[in-house]
Amino acid sequence: MNRKWLLSLLTVLLTLLLVACTTSTGDEEGTNDDDNNTEENENNTDENNDEKKILYLNNDSEPTSFDPPIGFNAVSWNALNNLLEGLTRLDQSHEPQPAMAEDWDVSEDGLEYTFYLREDANWSNGDPVTAQDFVYAWQHLLDPETASSAAFLGYFIENGEAYNAGEADADDVGVEAVDDKTFKVTLETPTGFFLDLVSNPAFFPVNHQVAEENPEWHAEADTFVANGPFQLKEWNHDQDMVFEKNPEYWDADTVQLDEIHWAMVNDTNTEYQMYQNEELDTSSIPSDLADELLDGDDVAYEEQAGVHFYRFNVTEEPFQNKKIRKAFALAVNQKEIVDYITKNLEKPAHGFVSYGFTDPNGEDFRDANGDLIQTDTEQAKQLLEEGMAEEGYDELPEITLSYNTDDTNKAVAEYLQQVYIDVLDVEVTLENTEWNVFLQDQKDLKHQFSRSSFLADYADPYNFLESFVTDSSMNRTGWSNEEYDQLIENARNETNEEQRFEYLYEAEKLLFEEMPLFPIHFYNQVNLENSSVSGIVRHPVGYLELKWADKN
Amino acid sequence: MFKYIIKRFFMAILTIWIIATLTFILMMSIPGSPFNDVSDKTSNEAVQENLEAHFNLDQPPVIQYVYYLKSIATFDFGPSIKKPNDTVNELLGRGFPISFELGILSIIVALISGIALGVLAALKHNKIIDYMAMTIAVLGISIPNFVLATLLIQQLAVNLNILPVATWKSPAHMVLPTIALATGPMAIIARLTRSSMLEVLTQDYIKMARAKGLSPYKVIIKHALKNALMPVVTILGTLLAGVLTGTFVIEKIFAIPGMGQYFVQSINERDYPVIMGTTVFYSAFLILMLFLVDITYGILDPRIKIHDEKGD
Repeated sequence: MNRKWLLSLLTVLLTLLLVACTTSTGDEEGTNDDDNNTEENENNTDENNDEKKILYLNNDSEPTSFDPPIGFNAVSWNALNNLLEGLTRLDQSHEPQPAMAEDWDVSEDGLEYTFYLREDANWSNGDPVTAQDFVYAWQHLLDPETASSAAFLGYFIENGEAYNAGEADADDVGVEAVDDKTFKVTLETPTGFFLDLVSNPAFFPVNHQVAEENPEWHAEADTFVANGPFQLKEWNHDQDMVFEKNPEYWDADTVQLDEIHWAMVNDTNTEYQMYQNEELDTSSIPSDLADELLDGDDVAYEEQAGVHFYRFNVTEEPFQNKKIRKAFALAVNQKEIVDYITKNLEKPAHGFVSYGFTDPNGEDFRDANGDLIQTDTEQAKQLLEEGMAEEGYDELPEITLSYNTDDTNKAVAEYLQQVYIDVLDVEVTLENTEWNVFLQDQKDLKHQFSRSSFLADYADPYNFLESFVTDSSMNRTGWSNEEYDQLIENARNETNEEQRFEYLYEAEKLLFEEMPLFPIHFYNQVNLENSSVSGIVRHPVGYLELKWADKN
Repeated sequence: MFKYIIKRFFMAILTIWIIATLTFILMMSIPGSPFNDVSDKTSNEAVQENLEAHFNLDQPPVIQYVYYLKSIATFDFGPSIKKPNDTVNELLGRGFPISFELGILSIIVALISGIALGVLAALKHNKIIDYMAMTIAVLGISIPNFVLATLLIQQLAVNLNILPVATWKSPAHMVLPTIALATGPMAIIARLTRSSMLEVLTQDYIKMARAKGLSPYKVIIKHALKNALMPVVTILGTLLAGVLTGTFVIEKIFAIPGMGQYFVQSINERDYPVIMGTTVFYSAFLILMLFLVDITYGILDPRIKIHDEKGD
């Protein structure tokens, strides 16, 4: 018995030792391989004329889905934007340009769009891109069975909302294939930014022959059909993806890269270390290192259409009072926050709509409507006094400021807490909860005063301002104003662009007159980018664009 | 023996049912919803209703509970809410082998180095080698693995450039995460081995063996170590279950596509089917490991008889 035991124990130990040895030799080989790889990479960059141009990017994590209406987030649409192409595509200056559609007509009343598809627009399997592909894809987007989170983007189309809510049939939706290459869309209301909107991945076509045969066509690399600059060569779920240039793409001559290798690294420090090690060509900036890295010459900066702001709950004391709301808003110095607290090169926000939307006169929306809120501590004190007198307060009710748990949010909240003591002599309590709980409470109006953010879904000021109409799911302040609702309604139905912007300007002014919120800063996209890389376009609204990217 | 296994099997099913029920109650009582998107995009009521209907979340909790029990019984947890392309089974099927690979490597490294350190320390009790070994062990326990991981990457990958930073492709990619993950268990094993070895070495049968003139090597391996390993085997069950099913932090830092990420992510995202899937899978695995440990006791030490439970 004992002998047997010793033997088996020895065998186990020996096996373990052997395994350990093989792993360690394996490691050495692996290391050598890796060295060779890096050498090869270096060679690549030295004599890149005959070698492949490969861009190494990080997609953070596994794309939710490459079915266009389902993957409604950056990890899906950043990649998908380079595999598929809609009727229009945003160019380097973020303006929509002809893409799958070569040309289009718009009716007088702005309700009917007729798109003429390119004769040479083909899928990567050789099929032509047809109007039926668009009809199929857009009905799929709005189909309640699809349960797409992006479906609301299609509500501008006639009966789009009704079909999505189950009150109309697919055939009622205002999309029609006149012939193979002519696609007609009827809208619910004239939508000035419709050409911009259809560049969004939600409106990408789907090869309907492939999709009808295999509804899971988008889930694997070997069944995926592309019509964009790149096609999906490999997709190891949760690990990496390889895109290669799509020879069937109508504008393939413009595309410089041969391949894009996507890693899925969900840790900013690791991402940065891989960038340092040249395993990645771009990286986001770890917040601890922001101070030193933002001064470097490999920083790529672009605006992002969105705003960081605070919501008041006007159904809770003391914020039912406009003057008290204003007092709390005017006490805050946005510039101090971006300079000393968030420190990520953001622009301080003195309005709700971010920079980058041009009105028909060629002026930027933000500049044209001016600063609607300016720090003024004296006025803040005075307003607070007046407000308290109006409400008959001797002392303010207790105020709790809520934010979702995050280091930066905490720093900003602590800044606000200090400002309110210094300027208004008011003590606010801070409270933080996990994101999902926080969001639910905010939607249920359980907060008094809470941190908020807004990221635009499409490139128009309307998207920002429609959030605050009565009972919008994005309102979350309890604030309701008939005049405001009317202005937004007018803007929605207006065909004259100049007049439409006029309504939006007025609406934003009214919003700040009433102050159910106050802004902190606009968002931006700051990345590190290897100096050999050029032409990566990051749209303020929209998704990563690699059509023009190059690597030397 | 057979009777014992049957008994354990039914106990296991009961345990899993209790765990699943508790998880369900906890899961349903946290506020929030899987459709509260991380980026807080525009949401719309019709859109929300379509989503809830799609995933049966519009049903009353009791009905949902029945669905869950059914999914556990058939081990088919349905599609993930946040990754609609995949079923929970596919996610686990993809992630578990990778976590298992990393876990096994780490446990092997931890066992070999931990036992070696422990034995060495015990034999050189209160000498410099003992102190060195125990310093290593204390450091191993007290340095969190994410600190160690970042340090290893910075030194070996970025500064010295001899290993890749992250991802899971070649054997070279496995070295750093294995070391980072093995250090904690190694330290625990080393300390346990040392203390039980010290205890065993003072016992009469060891003196007897030495007196018989057996070689020191034989005494240590055959007589002492075998008994000294009992506590190590005891913790090995829990250790294995924890390490083999993936560790969130290490997998995140090294971008390893294992299943560790799902434990944390699914809760943050309220991805109910994935929460249930990971919890049940982990519980079942832990129960299996504990069972194997009990069996191993009997093999390692014939004095422990697992089938002899008539006493109670």
